Amino acid sequence: MSGTLPRDGGTSRRLNSLLEVSKALAVQVDLDPLLAVILDKAAEVMEAERSTLFLYDPKENVLRNHVSGELARHAVVVPLGVGISGHVAKTLEPLNVHDAYADPRFNPSFDRDTGFRTRNILCAALLSHDGRLVGVIQLLNKRGNAAFSEDDETLLRAFASIAGVAIDRTRLVAAALESKAIEEGLRLAHDIQMGMLTRRFPKGKFDMHAALEPAKDVGGDFYDVLETDRYIWFTVGDVSGKGPGAALFMAITLTLFRASAAGLEDPSEVLGRMNRALSRDNDRMMFVTVFVARLDRETGQVLYSNGGHNPPYILRADGALENLETSLSPALGAFEEAVYTNAEFALRPGDMAILYTDGVNEAQAKDASFYGIERFEAVLRQLGKNDAESAVTRVVSSVGVFAVGAPPADDLTVLALRVAKD
Amino acid sequence: MEIREERRDTVLVLAPLGRVDSNSAGGLETALLGRAKEPRLLVDLSSVEYISSAGLRVFLMLARKVKESGGRLVLCGLGASVRQVFDLAGFSALFAIEPGVDQGVTRLSS
Repeated sequence: MSGTLPRDGGTSRRLNSLLEVSKALAVQVDLDPLLAVILDKAAEVMEAERSTLFLYDPKENVLRNHVSGELARHAVVVPLGVGISGHVAKTLEPLNVHDAYADPRFNPSFDRDTGFRTRNILCAALLSHDGRLVGVIQLLNKRGNAAFSEDDETLLRAFASIAGVAIDRTRLVAAALESKAIEEGLRLAHDIQMGMLTRRFPKGKFDMHAALEPAKDVGGDFYDVLETDRYIWFTVGDVSGKGPGAALFMAITLTLFRASAAGLEDPSEVLGRMNRALSRDNDRMMFVTVFVARLDRETGQVLYSNGGHNPPYILRADGALENLETSLSPALGAFEEAVYTNAEFALRPGDMAILYTDGVNEAQAKDASFYGIERFEAVLRQLGKNDAESAVTRVVSSVGVFAVGAPPADDLTVLALRVAKD
Repeated sequence: MEIREERRDTVLVLAPLGRVDSNSAGGLETALLGRAKEPRLLVDLSSVEYISSAGLRVFLMLARKVKESGGRLVLCGLGASVRQVFDLAGFSALFAIEPGVDQGVTRLSS
C-alpha cells in the first residue's frame, strides 16, 4: 500500500480525525465496541452517509457483514470475488465506484430490502499487521452530490490499515483469554478429580493399592475403597468423554458410590441406585462404567456387580490368569430402568484381583499402535510375587514405557487386591 | 469427521468414516444430531475402525433424540472391535443392530 496523504483543503482536519481514530482504536480490545467506533469514525472522516463492515471468516472463506445503525438485522454472507466487497477482499485493492447501479458487481438487493439508495461506494480491505485479510470496509454515498475522490481513497487506505490491525488484535486477545480460561478450568477439574481419590488402602491380610494416571486433558476415571468391620468395598469406574464435564460427573459418581455403599447390602443394589440418580435429567447422555465389589474379610468371598466396565482379572496363586465373567448390564447414566445383577468369586491366599480402566489397553504408542489386551495379560502373568503396590506400579510403568513420547490420551487406573499367603 | 450420506427409499443412511474418539466425537455429534428428526435413520458403521466411550455417548444421544421425535434408528456394519465396545459397555441391547445396510433398510422399511 502506497500513496501520500492528501494536502488539499480540509486536510489537516481530516488528518487530525485520523489521529483520533488511531488513538481510539489503540485502547479498545473488545471486538464489538471497536467495530462500532470504526464504523462511526469511518463515516465521519470519509464524509459518508453510511459505513458497512464485513469481517473475513477464514474457515468458510467468506465475508460476513457488520452494519451500523438500524440495518444491523440483515445478515449477509459474501463469498470472496462476488460483489464489490467480495472483489476487494479477493484483490486486496481499494475500489472506488462512482455510480453503483452502473457497476455489474453491485448487488442492489440490500437497497431493495432496506429502502436505502446507494449512489457511490468506496471500499477497502482491512489487513492485519502481517498482511492477512481481516475484513472489508465500505463507505456508501459521499455527502453532498460528489463521488469519492482519489484523496478519499488514499485516506481510506490509511484508515483501513489502522482499523485492520486493531480488529486483528482483539481476536488475538480474545483467543489468549479463552485459552487461559480453558486451561484454568481444566486444572481445576483435575484438582477436583485427584483430590477426591483416597490414598489410604487396606494392608495386612488383604493388601490393596490403586493408582490413577490422569490424561493430559482430564478424563473421568476413579477408584475408591470403603472399609467396614466385615467388608472391604472397592470400585473402579470410567466416565465417558473428557474435560471438566467428565471430571464433575466422576465427582458425582464417586459421591453416590460412597453414599450408597455405606447404606446398602449388596453391589447390584448400589449400582441400581447410582444408575437411577445419574440417569435423571442426563440430557448430555454422559455415562460411566462402574465395577463395584464387596469383599468379605472372613470368607474371602467377593460379591460384585458390573455396569459396563472392563471385566477384572484374577491372578491365582498357582499362576493361572482368569478374566472375570460379567453380565452385559449397561454402563450407568444412560438407561434409568437398567437392571444389575450380582455374581461372586472367591479369593484364596496368594490370589490377586486386578481392576483397570481402558486407559491401560487403549494406551497408544507414538506410532499410534495400541498397548492392547495381550500385552496387558502378559504383564499380569508376571506379577505372582508382587505385593499390591508393586503390582500396580509395574502395570503403570509398563504402559508408560510403551507410550513414551505420546501424550496420555485417556486416564489410566489400576487397582490390585492381594490376599496374603497363610 | 467425514460422513457419507445417502438415501435408500425412505431411509436416510449415514456412514461416518474413520476413528470416533474424543477428538472427533464433537463433529460427529453435530452431524448426527442434525439428522435426528429423520423418521427412518440408518447409521452404517462399517467404515469406523475405532470408537471410544466419548463416541458411544453420541449414539446414546442420537437414540434418545430420534425416540423423542418419534423416529426409528438402526445401526449396522459394526466391525468386531466396534461391536465389542458396545457389548462391553452393555449397550448392545439398547440399540437395534443389523449386519449390513440392506438388512438395516429392510428393517426400517417394515
